[in-house]
Amino acid sequence: MSKSKSIKQIAIYGKGGIGKSTTTSNLSAALSKMGFRVMQFGCDPKSDSTNTLRGGVYIPTVLDTLREKVSVDAHDVIYPGFNGVYCVEAGGPAPGVGCAGRGIITAVELLRQQHIFEELDLDYVIYDVLGDVVCGGFAVPIREGIAKHVFTVSSSDFMSLYAANNLFRGIQKYSKSGGALLGGVIANSINAGYSREIINDFVARTQTKVVEYIPRSITVTQCELKGRTVIEAAPDSQQAKVYVALAEKIAAHEQSEIPTPLGVTELQEWATSWSDKLLLQAESQVEIGEAI
Amino acid sequence: MSSSKFVDRPRFHCALGGALFTLRALQKAIPIIHASAGCGHNLFSASNAGAGYLGGGYCGGTAWSSTNVVEREIVFGGEERLNEQIRTTLDLIDGDLFVVVTGCMVEMIGDDVRAVASGFADSEVPVIAVPTPSFKGNSYDGYDMLLSGLFRDYVTQGLKKRADTVNLLGSVPGQDAFYKGNLTEISRLLQRIGFRVNTFFGEGETLDNLQKASEASLTIVLSDVYGLKAAAVCEEVHGIPYISLPLPVGAAQTSEFLRAAAVALKADATTVERVIREEEARYYDYFERIADIYNDVDLQRYAIVAGDANYAPAVSRFLADELGWLPRLAVITDLLEEERIPVLQQRFTGWESDTYPLVKFDTDTSAIQRYLAEAWEPNHNERYADTFSPTVLIGSVFERDLAAKLGIPLLTLSFPVTNRIVLNQTYAGYNGGLGLTADLLTTLVAGR
Repeated sequence: MSKSKSIKQIAIYGKGGIGKSTTTSNLSAALSKMGFRVMQFGCDPKSDSTNTLRGGVYIPTVLDTLREKVSVDAHDVIYPGFNGVYCVEAGGPAPGVGCAGRGIITAVELLRQQHIFEELDLDYVIYDVLGDVVCGGFAVPIREGIAKHVFTVSSSDFMSLYAANNLFRGIQKYSKSGGALLGGVIANSINAGYSREIINDFVARTQTKVVEYIPRSITVTQCELKGRTVIEAAPDSQQAKVYVALAEKIAAHEQSEIPTPLGVTELQEWATSWSDKLLLQAESQVEIGEAI
Repeated sequence: MSSSKFVDRPRFHCALGGALFTLRALQKAIPIIHASAGCGHNLFSASNAGAGYLGGGYCGGTAWSSTNVVEREIVFGGEERLNEQIRTTLDLIDGDLFVVVTGCMVEMIGDDVRAVASGFADSEVPVIAVPTPSFKGNSYDGYDMLLSGLFRDYVTQGLKKRADTVNLLGSVPGQDAFYKGNLTEISRLLQRIGFRVNTFFGEGETLDNLQKASEASLTIVLSDVYGLKAAAVCEEVHGIPYISLPLPVGAAQTSEFLRAAAVALKADATTVERVIREEEARYYDYFERIADIYNDVDLQRYAIVAGDANYAPAVSRFLADELGWLPRLAVITDLLEEERIPVLQQRFTGWESDTYPLVKFDTDTSAIQRYLAEAWEPNHNERYADTFSPTVLIGSVFERDLAAKLGIPLLTLSFPVTNRIVLNQTYAGYNGGLGLTADLLTTLVAGR
């Protein structure tokens, strides 16, 4: 491939525990199966983003290495994962000390400065970023010149959508200075009918879209317990097909947009309106049951 | 207050700097800076020159101990590095008190410096930590933060109170180039009326004065702004009440100060009046020397005063009430909490001369010229105009351009004072009034 090709850099955000790393790892695995050269860059002090790409094995992080040495060769912090996916973990300080946000900045800068993405001739760099955009450090992947597209993983839970809305505010802010734009929402754990309605309503109001609906699945749990992605451990499963579909859509994705986040009160009112609707639905179901 | 959208040559630096120069003024108190490389050096450069070349002092200035934290400490926390720096500083420097002071970056990442310092509780000399993040205030606040920390963690608690002992705060080392001369003069006067005085930074004082500060029965804060928070902490921790009196300049203000202090201290009124009589007699014996030249060549002047919250009101009043000058504009150049403003405005009332300047509060240096147009109607090319002349400007070196533009003499006394070497000079008390008179009139006869 030509060295002048553009590397597609993608950042995936979302509330903690919502399935970001699972989704990202399956996305990386699926893209690599499609023949792309992929790096997954975990931006979370927990440093477990790439575990399922490496048989559940933790890898030394950029910051661990930097703590030991004055300078770090980027090659020393890149580890091969499933199907040749390059795995990097930014790492961070021990809980309660130092500055994890600055750690993310340091780690991302270190790899960029050494032009490692170009050297490895990557097609995709996927940043898997911790929860809410709590400070400037965690916004680094969406600032100018790093990721071009941002996707957020969210369920239909209010707190998860709240985190997504916060992210939209970050994107809106940095969009004025050439930062990344929003590719869309990856709707995770969408099983109940109303979850799809809620998330569809949310994306409509914030002027974005759902890229893929990913159902909650026991297959994911089984694979993760084995330290594998679904793409690796259950390639023929229905769930793997969903991740492949997601990868195809992201591969084809070209145009991201500036979202229109809801205001705090607006978001609260919107949530309340859904609460009322769900209550009504529940009541009507009870009435139906009584009639039977 | 200024409506400008940028900061134009403010006359203070950061809280860490205020704390460092307060420590520099204490005998054998050794700071350990927990901050990025550069903080200590920059602050030394600023305060050294700005305070009339105060110098770094014992093991100070460019020899200050500093952790010089780099990115590694920011990401992973700087507590281990601080621990190492305290250990090596204790090995290398012979001090009587070690104080960890902090820069912004280690405060932002939440290093627990007090916990690190407490690990040295068994060392032969005390090691304490006083967080001094500059996003919490400027150099004047740094003075208060440092003193508050010392009152809490260093000054011995529970000493028996002595009715004849008083603590004196409010003159900020490194911000006030004349702090030592001023404290010495006020201390001299309080001693004359029968009191032992802890100024902590004055002539012949040691850390012993600070450690035993809890013996005092009163704290006098020589300021309407600086030292009030530290005095409040001293009251809270050691049960010592405090009063705030403005820095007195010249005979009238100083006699007033002594009378007010005497009431608060329950001093013997006869002694106080005798001291005032003697001091005034001595003062006017010198002062009358200038009567001839003053009247012969008319040394009365208009004046512009730009200075900090201690000097601007006191000097303006001195000019109006004692020197017979006409101060037209007084600009107080500090960043002040809102509630301090009416207190300072009050200082521009009740003057014997009934001659008051226009009072402005602004940290921007260029604002002074703008206010001048407000203080004196500019000449719109009239044939006969009442000119704002002759005038003298009293301020800092930042006023040099304005003085040159107006073609008037400048006397620098408020920070920064880079064009003077300041040793034991004072502008406080009776001696300060004489010194100020001599320095001001010298600018007028310098060409003779």
